[in-house]
Amino acid sequence: MRILLAEDDPLLGDGLRAGLRQLGFQVDWVRDGGAAERELRAQPYAATVLDLGLPLKDGMAVLAAIRQAGLTLPVLVLTARDAVPDRIRGLDVGADDYVVKPVDLNELAARLRALVRRSHGQPQECLTAQDVVLDPAARSVVQAGLSVPLSAREFDLLHALMLNAGRVLSREQLAQHLYSWGQEVESNAVEVHVHHLRRKLGSALIQTVRGVGYVLTRELPRP
Amino acid sequence: MRFPLLHLPRSLQGRLLLMVIGGVAGIWIAAAALTWLDVRHELDELLDGHLAQAAALLVAQQAAETEEDEHGINAPSLHRYAPKVAFQVFHEGRLALRSANAPATPMLALAGSAEERPQEGFRTIAMGGATWRVFATYGRERDTQVFVGEQVESRNAILRAVLRSVLTPMLFALPLLALAAWWAVRQGVAPMQVLSRMLARRQAQALAPITVDGAPSEMAPMLAALNSLFQRIAELMASERRFTADAAHELRTPIAAIRAQAQVALASSDDAERTHALQATVQGCDRATRLVTQLLTLSRLEAGSSPVLGRLDACAVVREVVADVAPLALDKQQTIEVEAQAACPVNADATLLAVLLRNLVDNAIRYSPTGARVRVVVRNLAGSVSVTVADSGPGMSDAEMAHLGERFFRVVGTGQSGSGLGWSITRRIASVLAAELSVSRSALLGGLSVELRFPLA
Repeated sequence: MRILLAEDDPLLGDGLRAGLRQLGFQVDWVRDGGAAERELRAQPYAATVLDLGLPLKDGMAVLAAIRQAGLTLPVLVLTARDAVPDRIRGLDVGADDYVVKPVDLNELAARLRALVRRSHGQPQECLTAQDVVLDPAARSVVQAGLSVPLSAREFDLLHALMLNAGRVLSREQLAQHLYSWGQEVESNAVEVHVHHLRRKLGSALIQTVRGVGYVLTRELPRP
Repeated sequence: MRFPLLHLPRSLQGRLLLMVIGGVAGIWIAAAALTWLDVRHELDELLDGHLAQAAALLVAQQAAETEEDEHGINAPSLHRYAPKVAFQVFHEGRLALRSANAPATPMLALAGSAEERPQEGFRTIAMGGATWRVFATYGRERDTQVFVGEQVESRNAILRAVLRSVLTPMLFALPLLALAAWWAVRQGVAPMQVLSRMLARRQAQALAPITVDGAPSEMAPMLAALNSLFQRIAELMASERRFTADAAHELRTPIAAIRAQAQVALASSDDAERTHALQATVQGCDRATRLVTQLLTLSRLEAGSSPVLGRLDACAVVREVVADVAPLALDKQQTIEVEAQAACPVNADATLLAVLLRNLVDNAIRYSPTGARVRVVVRNLAGSVSVTVADSGPGMSDAEMAHLGERFFRVVGTGQSGSGLGWSITRRIASVLAAELSVSRSALLGGLSVELRFPLA
């Protein structure tokens, strides 16, 4: 799951990036409000962690601008401002969650997963498609009651496809989900990971739409 | 021991009452005394005139009756004042006529010979146990001597009557006046009692302006001063609250960083990553410590206890500070240099000046890249000492310079974690030292140049 972290404090930003990476997120880190807005408009992030006291452009202004632009991604506001009016204003302007510093990394990750899940209309914690159950928190995949070991990239790819079950995702979109900045993306990386997933989970789960991309079907196609 | 009259009551009401009643009584008594003197003078003149006239009549009568030689001893006493008035007429040394209450012996000594001048004019004598006012005169032939006397007591009786009529109303009026004055004074000070009750009932946190209905215009300055004091206290408290809130918020970020880094270190299985996270944790602690120190410095400065400024050499302080922070610059392979003249006396507090200069030099080192130059120049321009800290770092845009000094403002993209408090502290100290602080672009080095200029010492 690729998220954007907007935090101007070098130590905190570094810690959050490292911590969220440990917990399976792909993290892009920007240090000011202008960059945050630019990146959010440019890239399909699953969610963003937004500090309010950002330089150049205040986090609240970034939030208002991206909502104005029609971006619906989940926004988790992470801030030192804990006054109730601040929280209310943050939520009213379009934040999906409001977390006051300092925050436990595991809690932050859980909140992000919940936000992403709900943004895809998924009330349960685990995603289900056909006989495959994906647990984003445990980062585990179970097929027909048996655990299936997946690499981190394979898991992320499956996660993205399951979140967008029934929708066709292009190779570029999937690559954007998988890799954060500075990571080398090989031209056929997505194909390779899809190939591995099919080998591990069977070919019925992920369909290829030629010339467009891939789609995951939630129900088995009727025979 | 105090003289009781000088010891005024503590209450305003009591004082006013005492002064009003005392004043009225005093004026009244003075008026009575003046009346007494005036009446006595007029009475003396009038009655003396009567005495003189009566004497003249007696002289004339004696002249007409001399031939008859008939000695009517007693004149009738018809009036109630008659016993208090007496007369004697002597003709050629013999008593010719006297009033019933007059003694046979002359009131004043008669002339012993024809050459001697008979008695004339007013005298006051003691006669028959009473004091008499006597007028003496004589006929043209000098053979008739007339004495007319009047008891002084009768005059005093008239005077006392006059005084009584003046003072009696006062005895009745004074208590009434006291009552009226008490009531008026009470009404007058009522708004002050309202005010004192309002103040007594007030909560310590209530700092809204006070209004007293029907307050007299004399109270307006006091109310205005009181309300302006309340306002200043409210502003001070608001600024304190804001500061506390800001400070608490500012501490949240380093704490969040420490927590995140520590969690990363705990969860990491990669040695390099764990080491990095632990180093960052330590950095976070240093940062939080620095922030707390800065907050304490700022709060001490804002508490407003102004230090005693003494005369000291700015150059010495500059050298000391630069020697202190030089290792930081050497770590970054920066060149740091001091150019100072021999004598730069300033009025300052050594500790505060050192904190200020350390902030400036520390900032220059921190925000300038590796290999940069930092230059501290101390100049004495005709008694006005200026300290300039310039660097070859990225400097600041005009917009950033304008924002500088907002508490917790910091420049973007420096890669340094700071709270922006340093500048607040620097500015506050400069104002305590009455020195002027200005920021510009360094002409020589191209980076930021901060000048601290002391007034003429």
